[in-house]
Amino acid sequence: MLDILGTIAGNILSLPGILGLALGMMTRNLLVAAILGGVVGVAETYIFSGFDFARVEPLDLAIAIGVGVIAGCVGRAIRVRGATV
Amino acid sequence: MANNDSNEKRPGFIRRIWNGFWSPSGVLSLGFLLIAGFLGGVMAWGGFHWALEETNTEEFCISCHSMTKNWDEYTDTIHYNNHSGVRATCPDCHVPHEWQYKVKAKIMASKDLYHEIIGTIDTDEKYEDHRLKMATAVWTKMKKTDSRECRNCHSFEYMDFTIQETRAAADHQKALDEGKTCIDCHQGIAHGLPTGYLERYETVAEGLEAAK
Ligand code: HEC
Ligand code: HEC
Ligand code: HEC
Ligand code: HEC
Repeated sequence: MLDILGTIAGNILSLPGILGLALGMMTRNLLVAAILGGVVGVAETYIFSGFDFARVEPLDLAIAIGVGVIAGCVGRAIRVRGATV
Repeated sequence: MANNDSNEKRPGFIRRIWNGFWSPSGVLSLGFLLIAGFLGGVMAWGGFHWALEETNTEEFCISCHSMTKNWDEYTDTIHYNNHSGVRATCPDCHVPHEWQYKVKAKIMASKDLYHEIIGTIDTDEKYEDHRLKMATAVWTKMKKTDSRECRNCHSFEYMDFTIQETRAAADHQKALDEGKTCIDCHQGIAHGLPTGYLERYETVAEGLEAAK
């Protein structure tokens, strides 16, 4: 349990959370935002595994994508709520 | 707004950017701007920090031809190869940890780049000719800071003098009593020493003493 919480927190404070949110804020399209966030999640897991997909833990990947998607959607919500363009 | 038929002269490109930058935004809310600024700040700082750490690795130091001679000498010493497998790398001894000193060291190291380009020490002969001068710079720094970088790992307080060899224990006790610092006795701990190093070191120490 703590392990999963730690992974989630690590992802929120790392690329998926921060960059995902930033990318999400660049679009008003929910699908685009979610995909951008998910892509960041995949990219981060890949980079931190030393560019070796064999070493990627499926659970880590899932959490990274999940956090990325949510961050992207939150970013999109900020855009819709906070900007007229 | 887009009233281009007024005969007022259109400001130049830079002027327009400048004006735009300082005008209130009509389309973005304060909250949006704050969050965007915060995220941008986190990413800029993270990237900066990452770059700084990348230039604080041994691989980076010896990526320069000029630094490979030090590497060769250092790999024969205790800080590279010892019974416990704990190492001190180039930045451990040459780059301070404390933020303000670290940034200063990084900025001063830009002269390394200049000397690399003009080839100040690109052959062994040139290196030897230049060594005393470079070593003097390092000694001055270490003496001034009470060997701060050594003390990131070593400390008199935690040395068990009873298991040190007699000469070491005696000298370390003396060092404590007389307020001496590591580099006063341990020159050449990681690299070869130039001839005349003792005289030069004394001049450095006396110079700093006199300046106090
Ligand atoms: C761009 C190539 C290059 C890189 C990278 C480089 N050096 Fe140097 N370094 C040089 C050259 C050339 C000199 C000789 C400069 C001079 O004459 O003052 C030098 C001088 C030095 C000196 C001599 C003392 C002084 O301050 O003048 C030290 C110590 C040193 N380098 C340590 C390091 C460490 C530690 C790193 C890694 C963090 C590093 N260098 C990375 C090229 C490089
Ligand atoms: C990154 C940590 C680190 C730093 C920085 C460091 N040392 Fe060491 N030092 C070590 C370790 C580790 C050993 C070896 C311990 C062992 O396994 O015997 C060692 C060993 C030594 C020895 C024992 C030599 C011998 O032949 O037994 C001396 C002397 C010494 N260091 C002096 C210094 C001085 C002087 C400095 C500063 C210029 C310094 N050290 C900086 C970690 C460090
Ligand atoms: C007054 C001179 C003097 C000063 C100052 C001094 N040392 Fe030494 N040190 C010696 C001598 C002499 C030896 C024994 C010979 C040797 O190994 O080089 C020694 C040995 C050592 C050893 C190896 C001890 C062992 O038995 O394995 C370490 C580690 C060491 N010194 C670290 C330091 C550090 C770190 C400092 C600064 C905090 C320092 N010394 C300051 C003279 C000094
Ligand atoms: C254990 C600490 C230590 C480590 C590790 C270390 N140095 Fe040094 N370095 C010194 C000290 C002390 C001096 C001052 C001259 C002397 O006493 O040998 C020095 C001097 C130098 C000089 C000036 C010229 C000379 O030969 O004296 C250069 C350049 C240098 N170091 C580069 C490096 C590089 C590159 C590395 C990594 C491969 C490295 N150093 C690793 C302690 C260290």
